[in-house]
Amino acid sequence: MKNFDLIKLPFNKQNPITVQVLGVCSCLAVTAQLKPAVVMAVSVTVVVALANLIISLLRNTIPPRIRIIVQLVVVSTLVVLVDQFLKAYMYDVSKQLSVFVGLIITNCIVMGRLEAFAMSNPPLPSLCDGIGNGLGYSVILVTLGFVRELFGSGSLWGYPIAEKLGLYGIGYENNGLMIMPPMALILAGIIIWIQRTRNKDLQED
Amino acid sequence: MKKFSNRYIFIYSAVLVAVSALILTLVSTSLKPRQERNQAAEKKQMILKTIGVEATRDNADELYDQYITEKYLSDGSSLLTFDGGIIIPLQGTGLWGPIWGYLALDDENTVLGAVFDHKGETPGLGGEIATDNFAKRFVGKSFLQPIVLKKNADKSSPYEVDAISGGTMTSNGVTAMLAKAYDKYGCLAVDSTAADNTEECKETDK
Repeated sequence: MKNFDLIKLPFNKQNPITVQVLGVCSCLAVTAQLKPAVVMAVSVTVVVALANLIISLLRNTIPPRIRIIVQLVVVSTLVVLVDQFLKAYMYDVSKQLSVFVGLIITNCIVMGRLEAFAMSNPPLPSLCDGIGNGLGYSVILVTLGFVRELFGSGSLWGYPIAEKLGLYGIGYENNGLMIMPPMALILAGIIIWIQRTRNKDLQED
Repeated sequence: MKKFSNRYIFIYSAVLVAVSALILTLVSTSLKPRQERNQAAEKKQMILKTIGVEATRDNADELYDQYITEKYLSDGSSLLTFDGGIIIPLQGTGLWGPIWGYLALDDENTVLGAVFDHKGETPGLGGEIATDNFAKRFVGKSFLQPIVLKKNADKSSPYEVDAISGGTMTSNGVTAMLAKAYDKYGCLAVDSTAADNTEECKETDK
């Protein structure tokens, strides 16, 4: 039950983006379309879950003085692996994500969860915490990607919905602002607003 | 908190790094052939795109063999030709790294199609050169002179193309890349049979 809570909490009260405010940079950068957002979400979830597990297994052997370096080595190894796999099996997506895959290394969620959780908890809860935070990040990313692609490009997963429905014929136009990074920030702000309205204990004075 | 000796710390980091390096080497070596195949297919897709053939990575090889032939010039270099003209490769430097592309020219040096790509230009700014929208600006332009990218380009001029706002350095890179390609290939296309006699390649008039 406790492990399940660890997976569940990041969806709402401990959401990495809207509550912990970690990983915001990548959430602005890769959500202009749904597909890269999903791939980024999956990649980060895999990396943060595995990194949490590995660091947790090693936690009693890691000398505190070099713990950040050890964490970085583990995270970067995982990220390079993800990058290599994307290049081999999902080439188009890897081109679209370009530098952002490498930037998972510096994604605060990963380092943040390693320091805050994996260094002081056993492997199984750490794995759950990693999966939970990865998924909590994913929910926001996918929501933003969905809204931004639908209204910004009139398509979903590359499928031209607006065109197929004949919306352009009756004067519909795509919202150019949607595909610009600031709109992701505004949308994330709206999500935070709704979330805090519904969860009084998240509100600060 | 447990105490760790310096010796332990050194050995620990050495082993950690060695293990990580080993894993990375194994994975990189085993995935390399697949990645290279992807890159080769992408290059063929780009080349096909300049002549208006949309290929997927799976049928790129087949379509490429069908539409593109490689001719060897007297100086030993090779030239890509298709039914109706030639395709010249472009290589240059953008703001952050290499940029490249292909131009399809008919036998009057008119651009039939263009395609550009980059390694790491800023997405949304210089990175826009990789979009169809940018490539379309070149269609119908003439390569009898090097094509120049500039702000407020004269759309009716066959040698001017609108630069990318916010991507000046990349745009300048594209201009330089086109000038370099013009030096090398500018006169070839006028007579597409010239592929056999490059030395007769003459100054083109305006």
